[in-house]
Amino acid sequence: MIVVELVKMLRRPRTWVTIGMLNALPTLVAVLLALTDLGPRPGTGPAFLSAVLTDGTLFPLAALAIVLPFLLPIAVAVFSGDAIAGEAAAGTLRYMVIRPVGRTTLLVAKLVSVIAFVLLAVLVVAATAYVMGTLLLGDQTGATTSVSGTSLSATQISGRTALSIGYVVLSMLGVAAIALFLSTVTDSSLGAALGALGVLVASSLLFTLDAAAALQPYLPTRYWLSFVDLFRDPILWRDVVRGVVLQGVYVAVFLGASWANFTTKDITS
Amino acid sequence: MIHTRSLTKRYGPVLAVDSVDLDVRKGDIYGFLGANGSGKTTTVRMLLGLVLATSGGIELLGRPIPGAAREVLPQVGSLVEGPAAYGHLSGRANLSLFDAMGVGGRRRTRQQRIDEVLEQVGLTEVGRRPVKAYSLGMRQRLGLAAALLRSPRLLVLDEPTNGLDPQGIREIRELLLQLHATGTTVFLSSHLLAEVEQLCTRVGVLDRGRLVLQEELAVLQAPTGRTFVRTPDPDRAQALLDGRVESRDGRQLLVRGTDAAQINAQLVAAGVRVDELGPERRTLEQVVLEATEQAPVGSSRP
Amino acid sequence: MTPQRRWFLVGVGVLLLIAIPVAVRSLPATESDVTAADLLAKVQASGSVRYSGYAEAVGGLQLPVTDRFSDLATLLGERTRLRVWWRSPESWRVDAIGLTGETDLIRDLGGLATWEYEAARVTFTADAPVRLPRTADLVPAVLGRQLLGEAESDEVARLPAERVAGRDVPGLRLTPRDPQTTIDHVDAWVDPQTGLVLRVEVYGAGTSPVMSTSFRSLSTEAPALSEGTFTPPPGAEVRVEEAVDIAAAADQFAPVRPPGTLVGLDRRPSEGVGAVGDYGRGVTRLVAIPLWDDAADPLRDQLETTPGARVGRRGTVVTVGPLGLMLTPNRFETPNWLLAGTVSRQTLARAAAELEGAARVLQ
Repeated sequence: MIVVELVKMLRRPRTWVTIGMLNALPTLVAVLLALTDLGPRPGTGPAFLSAVLTDGTLFPLAALAIVLPFLLPIAVAVFSGDAIAGEAAAGTLRYMVIRPVGRTTLLVAKLVSVIAFVLLAVLVVAATAYVMGTLLLGDQTGATTSVSGTSLSATQISGRTALSIGYVVLSMLGVAAIALFLSTVTDSSLGAALGALGVLVASSLLFTLDAAAALQPYLPTRYWLSFVDLFRDPILWRDVVRGVVLQGVYVAVFLGASWANFTTKDITS
Repeated sequence: MIHTRSLTKRYGPVLAVDSVDLDVRKGDIYGFLGANGSGKTTTVRMLLGLVLATSGGIELLGRPIPGAAREVLPQVGSLVEGPAAYGHLSGRANLSLFDAMGVGGRRRTRQQRIDEVLEQVGLTEVGRRPVKAYSLGMRQRLGLAAALLRSPRLLVLDEPTNGLDPQGIREIRELLLQLHATGTTVFLSSHLLAEVEQLCTRVGVLDRGRLVLQEELAVLQAPTGRTFVRTPDPDRAQALLDGRVESRDGRQLLVRGTDAAQINAQLVAAGVRVDELGPERRTLEQVVLEATEQAPVGSSRP
Repeated sequence: MTPQRRWFLVGVGVLLLIAIPVAVRSLPATESDVTAADLLAKVQASGSVRYSGYAEAVGGLQLPVTDRFSDLATLLGERTRLRVWWRSPESWRVDAIGLTGETDLIRDLGGLATWEYEAARVTFTADAPVRLPRTADLVPAVLGRQLLGEAESDEVARLPAERVAGRDVPGLRLTPRDPQTTIDHVDAWVDPQTGLVLRVEVYGAGTSPVMSTSFRSLSTEAPALSEGTFTPPPGAEVRVEEAVDIAAAADQFAPVRPPGTLVGLDRRPSEGVGAVGDYGRGVTRLVAIPLWDDAADPLRDQLETTPGARVGRRGTVVTVGPLGLMLTPNRFETPNWLLAGTVSRQTLARAAAELEGAARVLQ
């Protein structure tokens, strides 16, 4: 079933259109940076964006930092919100269930397919950004500087880039699980996607609010930007580990809720 | 093949299906009749485990549903409330994905089986076109192809000829008869009486959630013990057959007795002209109307 | 399984996920029978302890300053996340972590290096004995030693133990007896083995701390910190500056000498040149910094527009929590004195008056 869902995801035109759109913004940023040579002021703007002016090989990370806060979660919410509700609207859900595909199997396969989509999207974004970065911004230094001011070898950089790609993918698990749950509640993909985005907007807002400090460690967006910690020297694992655990908790809770809701739900679409 | 016991489904205060005892036997072509909104689709969905019954039990191929859905459903082909497919994929790709889902679709024979069912439903030529370019009838055939993909022992079809032209309807009817001949039991849910009358061996009628009739079609259509006479001289005929005429409607008389030849001889001997004469058989329409009119609106039990 | 039972299972799972960490956290810390005086002695003897760790500091003071003091405002008014590697007062590294970068202080044999990632800049200076507070001062062990280092045993009392950075540590409350101070008390939790202060909370008049800093993880093994001097990464801008900040510059170059005592507080011995006066003890501190006009005038404008500011004959006074700031007027031939400290408005005014007469201008 997982294979079927992966094939469906890969053969869907929407998948590739979305990935194309995800690539558009970092590419535009790369072109603008190359033309103007104007980085953001320190402390503002996405992570790594000031560093790429001197070192184009860091652009994959800057691209991740560009798509991570908004574009990527929107894409994930749309895909995951469509997972069950979209099949219901198309009428294919009933044919899956009477095939029969176990309903829990279906939920897991859908989640895996969304995560595979995120992985694919992030890999394409990183690869495109690497090409754009080295072509447009150049590699003027030879060695790459860590956030802590030490030099990182090419092996270290590629290892840490791989880690951060993995971390970004895991960071999307929470959104995916929330949208998947909403997708089992409603037959409207749009409703499910917007519901999940609502949760994210609320989470981002609470993250900036000092009064919500007690809630902040539990917000799904809390540790998203912690992939920057992978480029400190030595790596600051603290928030990265917490981020992964937190996403795991979100998956457990919302996949559980999806299961509770969907296993005996009447499929009337 | 299908056996339900007091099957009931309640949506809040609305009783959609009320104590239905279906009995579909091996080798039947079972016509499941009912007006739109009578609970047909809900019953079909319950049979396939899509909707869970409020109370009552279902046995499909001798096993309980939804408990044994995993073992039973691979042997059942179905079409529920219209076909559904992924528009951007070709018909073949849709069938291939559909077969790969869940248990029971063997990979080695998949292409061969797809070729077979596409031919059976007459889609071989358009199998590689994306489904979004299909007409309604072609989609219906694709849905049927998907139902046939695993050579099911039981076919559960909800309105299978929807959207088909008369030619297509005849082809599908022939296909179903052919499948029936090779041992497939068919459960056909429809609101088209003619379709059921031409195809089915057994009939069940659902009215406002209740099964008001379930019988062999042959029994329902057996001679009624009356003879039907149409004549340009109804008054004379009535006088002649005095006492045996049960009802008169213009130039048509219903006469008690099954011996049509004797009645004819009597009429002709008396010089009464006869246009048409024969043993009376009820149409399915009459049967269904009678069955559904018996039940007063609003009562929960006949 | 019925939907009710499944929802029940999920509910129980969620409750467990929430309750287990809460329960673990709320387990009472093991109490220690160490006395307050012994604990204080431990802190005062902890100068040579090596450690590394991660700490978070939260300041609740909104300083009405900008420009050359804006780092100070961030330090006292916001949340700072710190990574620390400490070998000795002459060899340490403190990284202030931001969401998208970091600003690191690296103290080694070559002096002090400041690395700012987002600007890709390294600044080398000599470490100054007289300077403004900096991120490294927020490390709990550093701040704790600073505040408790000069306390006396009759000023401290024991507090119940708490769990800090995974250790059960006894607490200590310092209630200063200096009459001038605006600090009500300081709570500190101290590792009884090493004497390292793991958490510090500073209270002014209110019930919530005006500054708190706490280790979140701590290792007392010798930190793996490279010996020798900090090497600027390739491509970085390298600067060398004569003074770490405006206070250090004033101390070295301002042609004035403040008096030996101010409002009854003794001047602290300093290794610096001596233009900046640093008075008081422990939590009761008052500094007098001579400022040039180009630094003082914008600061004065800023202070005067602060709500609650009082502009008097002797200068402009602003208080922020327990912290008082006063800037004397711009007068010909006398420096602009910036007085800052944990003292009241009235004490500041008296200090300004004393300075006027007692500060010696070098010709």
